[in-house]
Amino acid sequence: MATTDYTIPGEPDLETVDININVGPQHPATHGVFRMVLTVDGELVTDVDPVIGYMHRGNEKLPENCDYRQVIGYHDRTDYLAQFNTEQCFVEAVEKLTGIKPTERSEYIRVILVELNRIMSHLMFIGAFSTDVGIFGTSFMYAFRDREYVQDFFEEITGERMMYNYFRPGGLAWDVPDNFRERCKQVLGHINSGLKDLEGMIVDNEIVLARCRGLSRVSTKDAINWGLTGPLLRATGLEYDLRKAEPYSIYDRFEFEIPTGKDGDVYDRVIIRLEEMKQSVRIVEQALAGLPGGPIMAEGMKRTLRVPEGEVYMRVEGPRGEYGVYIVGTGTDKPYRHKVRGASFCNLSALRAMSIGNYLSDVIIILGSIDIVLCEVDR
Amino acid sequence: MTQEAVQEAPPPEPGPLARLLQELLPGVGFAIRETPLDETVTISRDDFSRVMETLKTHERLHFDFLRCVSGVDYLTELETVYHLYSFEHGHKLAVKVRCPYEDPHVPTVSHLWTAANWLERETQEMYGIVFDGHPDLRPLLTEEGLGYYPLRKSHPLADIEEWQEDYLAAIDEAKRQAASAGGEAPPPMSKVEIAQAKAKLMKEARDKARADGLSPEDEKAAVRAAIDKFNADLESGQAGGGAAAPAPMSKVELAQAKAKVITKARNEARAKGMSTEDEKKFVAEALKKFSAEQAAGGAPAAAAPKKEMSKVELAQAKAKVITKARNEARAKGMSTEDEKKFVAEALKKFSAEQAG
Repeated sequence: MATTDYTIPGEPDLETVDININVGPQHPATHGVFRMVLTVDGELVTDVDPVIGYMHRGNEKLPENCDYRQVIGYHDRTDYLAQFNTEQCFVEAVEKLTGIKPTERSEYIRVILVELNRIMSHLMFIGAFSTDVGIFGTSFMYAFRDREYVQDFFEEITGERMMYNYFRPGGLAWDVPDNFRERCKQVLGHINSGLKDLEGMIVDNEIVLARCRGLSRVSTKDAINWGLTGPLLRATGLEYDLRKAEPYSIYDRFEFEIPTGKDGDVYDRVIIRLEEMKQSVRIVEQALAGLPGGPIMAEGMKRTLRVPEGEVYMRVEGPRGEYGVYIVGTGTDKPYRHKVRGASFCNLSALRAMSIGNYLSDVIIILGSIDIVLCEVDR
Repeated sequence: MTQEAVQEAPPPEPGPLARLLQELLPGVGFAIRETPLDETVTISRDDFSRVMETLKTHERLHFDFLRCVSGVDYLTELETVYHLYSFEHGHKLAVKVRCPYEDPHVPTVSHLWTAANWLERETQEMYGIVFDGHPDLRPLLTEEGLGYYPLRKSHPLADIEEWQEDYLAAIDEAKRQAASAGGEAPPPMSKVEIAQAKAKLMKEARDKARADGLSPEDEKAAVRAAIDKFNADLESGQAGGGAAAPAPMSKVELAQAKAKVITKARNEARAKGMSTEDEKKFVAEALKKFSAEQAAGGAPAAAAPKKEMSKVELAQAKAKVITKARNEARAKGMSTEDEKKFVAEALKKFSAEQAG
């Protein structure tokens, strides 16, 4: 039998050349207008150069020319999958500087909405990510079905489907509808049953296990050094959640756990998000049980909100990690400096380190597991 | 964290962390500022590298997490703020360092915290602060060679352009005219408008009372009387309406007419090969002229002289011109080339007349 004569790749006599592959900016796998230039040696990625900025709209400059209440709308447009979380961060920052105390009822409603928003964002992640992995259709549709219930609920409250602009320093723009409790319970019911479906589709799925287990392992030390936060940091086993580490709002009143992983790989990042949704449901249930009546806006609020001289770096635990706002107030009605620390931005900066040495097709999964929102990256 | 007994210190009192820093880094000046959530210290640029290295590596500090790097423009100086966190001790610290405008250089910390890489790149492109020793200071969010630093205060937002301003003013004017003319009832005021009108009234009444030297009581009474009158007017449905004036154009028509004037002037200017400056001036002049005509109310000749032709009418008129020109040319016995030119000329003339 004749043997085929061929040269084994990597043999000294074979010359290889690294090839640059351009992915994006218009590519469904990049989750937005994101571009990366991959350098590959065969199938192995040897370098990644992420190119961002396609969505840069001056979201730090514009608020410096806006009244404090006008800025809230700009925060919806940074992380457009976790609008309430971002609004909460900004509103709390202003409250920290001015000393305004939000009313009890508004705090509870904020927590309920923020946690539902977290669920909504994670559902989006699960849906989009499973498409990245190669499970087309089913889990995407299931996740989006449940997402729709939450979105309808938010629309009933705020009148908007995406850009809610509902939180205000001192409280909320207006009170929730009378049937808030019943509707919220309905939505929770949908989510609970939907989560079971999703778990069945993701956790033991052969495709997910084969492609995500052990992929892009990150140690806790590296994760901290790279500035990773949120599910990516918790996947490495560190139990760190700003809601517990530096309790803001009224999070110290609720019981919930911080799900952590062991290996810091892509699989852990997915499972943590699934678990986090359950914890969020727990928080919403507790908040709903304790939801008091009363006013939704603090007393003595002025038409023009002037923030005294001072500065604060307020941070909250968003679905993607630490979302921070650094505000410098100078006694006027406009922020002097308004910096947004996007969790996606810092997490994405570690993409290069996480991807090198992996296969080309896996880089898409790693990128998906970061769960970037390009509007938050570029601001 | 070492919690020491509270001791007397010049205000603002250094927190436990600041005291620890003073203990571990003698000889470094820490300017302390009180901020919520974090302890804030400002250090000089010369000490910066040493302090940051100690913050990262010293076992009693061990700030392993760099949360955020922000630039701030204080007009004479540029400031960089580093927000740090220690997972081990739970310390929260903000470190600030300033550099003058003329010499915007700060040593990098990207060798200590990898997270600083992108954060510093962004600060560099937005504020022009150069982080010495940074491995890769290409701009991140903006294009290369931008030529300015967008987040500096010396780079303001673009003004509302002339034509936008004018357009908005035209709409306002048209609204007012529409409200006062035609005998229709003015549209009800929105809540905001009512509040604004009230605030204006109150201010006027107060200013007048003060100018007249009334006592505070009388001043209050005068303001109250003005508001009462306003409320009464509002109920009877008179507020917001004014003296009836002829409303020659609807707001849309007016805006369209203005847009036309602007476009025409601009095209004319460009055809004449004017510079951008001159073009702006030229357009402004044309607009001024138009506005003056409008204000004079003398059924301006330029703006809406004759009833605008509909598209069909225009096409018909054009066809007529063409036919006429062609017949004329043939009667004169022109060559085909000349005939074409002649027709084109006639059309051009017609178009110019239309635009004029």
